[in-house]
Amino acid sequence: MNETTYVEILLVEDNPEDLELMQRALRKANITNRIQIGRDGAEALDFIFCEGAHAARKIEDSPKVILLDLKLPKVDGLEVLKRIKGDPRTRAIPVVVLTSSKEQNDVVESYHLGVNSYIVKPVNFESFIEAVQHLGMYWLLLNQPPKLEK
Amino acid sequence: MSTESAGLPSHAVNGDPCLQAAGSHAGEAFHTADRILAEEELKASLKEVGDLKAALDEHAIVAITDPQGRITYVNDKFCAISKYSREELLGQDHRIINSGFHPSEFIRDLWTTIARGQVWHGEIKNRAKDGTFYWVDTTIVPFLNEHGKPRQYVAIRADITERKQAEAALRLSEDRYRTLFNTLIEGFCIIEVIFDAHNRPVDFRFLEVNPAFEKQSGLLDAKGRLMRDLAPDHETHWFEIFGKVALTGETVRFESEARALNRWYEVSAFQFGGMESRQVAILFNDITKRKRADLSAAQLVAIVESSDDAIVGKDLQGIVTSWNAGAERIFGYTASEMLGHSITRLIPPTREHEEEEILGRIWRGENVRHFDTVRLRKDGSQIDLSVTVSAIRDSAGQIIGASKVARDITARKRTEEEIRRLNAELESRVAERTAQLEIANKELEAFSYSVSHDLRAPLRAVDGFSQAVIEDYGGQLPAEGRRYLQTIREGAQRMGMLIDDLLTFSRLSRVPLKQQEINAEKLIRSVLDDFSAQRKGRQIDLRMGELPVCTGDPALLRQVWVNLLSNAFKYSRLRETAVIEIGCTQQQGEKVWFVRDNGAGFDMRYVGKLFGVFHRLHRAEEYEGTGVGLAIVQRVIHRHGGRIWAEAAVDRGATFYFTLEEATKP
Repeated sequence: MNETTYVEILLVEDNPEDLELMQRALRKANITNRIQIGRDGAEALDFIFCEGAHAARKIEDSPKVILLDLKLPKVDGLEVLKRIKGDPRTRAIPVVVLTSSKEQNDVVESYHLGVNSYIVKPVNFESFIEAVQHLGMYWLLLNQPPKLEK
Repeated sequence: MSTESAGLPSHAVNGDPCLQAAGSHAGEAFHTADRILAEEELKASLKEVGDLKAALDEHAIVAITDPQGRITYVNDKFCAISKYSREELLGQDHRIINSGFHPSEFIRDLWTTIARGQVWHGEIKNRAKDGTFYWVDTTIVPFLNEHGKPRQYVAIRADITERKQAEAALRLSEDRYRTLFNTLIEGFCIIEVIFDAHNRPVDFRFLEVNPAFEKQSGLLDAKGRLMRDLAPDHETHWFEIFGKVALTGETVRFESEARALNRWYEVSAFQFGGMESRQVAILFNDITKRKRADLSAAQLVAIVESSDDAIVGKDLQGIVTSWNAGAERIFGYTASEMLGHSITRLIPPTREHEEEEILGRIWRGENVRHFDTVRLRKDGSQIDLSVTVSAIRDSAGQIIGASKVARDITARKRTEEEIRRLNAELESRVAERTAQLEIANKELEAFSYSVSHDLRAPLRAVDGFSQAVIEDYGGQLPAEGRRYLQTIREGAQRMGMLIDDLLTFSRLSRVPLKQQEINAEKLIRSVLDDFSAQRKGRQIDLRMGELPVCTGDPALLRQVWVNLLSNAFKYSRLRETAVIEIGCTQQQGEKVWFVRDNGAGFDMRYVGKLFGVFHRLHRAEEYEGTGVGLAIVQRVIHRHGGRIWAEAAVDRGATFYFTLEEATKP
């Protein structure tokens, strides 16, 4: 991956089928530019906090939106979310939790951690695409990240 | 006697009025020729008079006074009774023997009577020379002169001192009796026992009753009346006892209850006035209070004696003064072993301070209640007791000791111990179970989580890539191929719904109920709003009755209404005009909610399968569905403590009823 490229979307998803379908959906919604993929929580954190393979990246070049699956290997999605929202440098990045879980605990916990949006991945992929397109359009149409309440 | 008689004439000459009178008569008849004869006759007459006089003197006390009251004659008896000599008396008036007893009117009456020449008769108390008194029955006869005036008075007296004394004594005794009769605190009465023809006593009449009688007997106005009239139910033994006293003269003394009068009496009865009178004198006392006190005291004694508890009396030095059977049983000491001994022998050495403390509290007037402690039995074993100690006071209120009631609580202690042990065991078992349940719950949650994530992901792939094929290569596929792919997608989506419903269903058992008051009408209207898309283009007659408030978990009850109403809309969609009724009725004090449709209905033979998970009464191509909706409804209703049931007929619609437990007001 080209580290100098300005990343607009960080997509953290371990399931390759979901990932592929999601990329396809984004592509179909004409959101094709600069998508960074994280395959697990650790990779996502490295990218966000410019560590490990991404040590050369500048933290100021934060993605415009992070699409985050909750159930991830190594470091799970909630932990990633906690780290992002716990750090003043990354707190302002909008995070959309993408999960197949309808479990209340996940929802409640996510909102506690300051998630910006939350969608359940439906089995019907048309709805999924709709949701992704909608989210993508919304966040990417904004030139600047939203000012979050302190 | 003869000498006295011989001496008489000399007296007579001097003053005996009778003799003088006789003399004057003799003078008138005097004749020389007859003189001798006359003298003879006179002698004879004088002798007769003398004899009479002697006889009179022998019988009576005789005195003669002149009109001025001076004594001119007294006979020996007068001298004897007055203890004056004749010489001392003659020439005196009667004041010499005046006792001063009689009022002056009495004396004046006497003199007035005799001065008029009339005979006076009366009883006079005189005083003898030595100051003693004597009574004489007195007749004073005035002897008149030719002018009809008293010439002299002859007083003939009889000594009635003894009679007078007897009378006085009688009067005194009578007075004493009266006083006694009137002032006696005891009841007293004289009765006449009445016998029947067989000489059996059947009744008695009150002849005399004393003033205390009423109060003591409780009988009013008894005098002259029959007992049977006053108290018809008076026990027969009373009549028998008094009858026996009347007949035999036997004196009896007894205590008995008279139930008819609701009293106890202590009675002494004795014959009165001889056998023939059939009278009985009765002296009695109302002892009801004492009897009842005795009775209750006897009861108390019996209670104390029969008590299972040890009841012990002790003085302030701790010396045992009473010891009941319960104490013997509990402590193993007999009464004779304990009476007079110190209570301290029952106290274990480690608790010696207790007795002092208890006695101290008693001294301060406090009672010690249900004090759990340990005491020593005779065999040296220890016994758990609950002790209550109270002060014993004398009639002046002074504390003179303490009574102690001790209950054997060994069994209770053992039970308490057992309960404590069982409780602890139960608690640990509950904790164990809770822990197991928590683990099971965690596992279930993990399972649900896993199902919801992992089972859905492949479905998304199936659905998503099928769509990708249709979108990207649909043109190269025959129509049949595209339909297969479409079927694959539908299958995947349907499985997704099943998983979602299953998760919802399983979550219902785990989430806690959040009970609150709910405006049912508002809730239902909001559900109906959500169905607006489904209702679009259909003709639906929606009838909503008056809906009261209910209590429940709003989110769960919303689910109930969503499921029931969606069924109603679904199964009535083939009707030209669907009629859907929503309402609530009162049945036996219970709110029954219902949803009725005029749709496909179902065969009541299968009603038992209606609420089972994945059970469907319609084929999927007729009416879509997962078969979980009504299972969810039932679970929610059950969790609210309510019931759900349905009535339906094929093609004639269905009605679903449910109740919710009335929330108890906080």
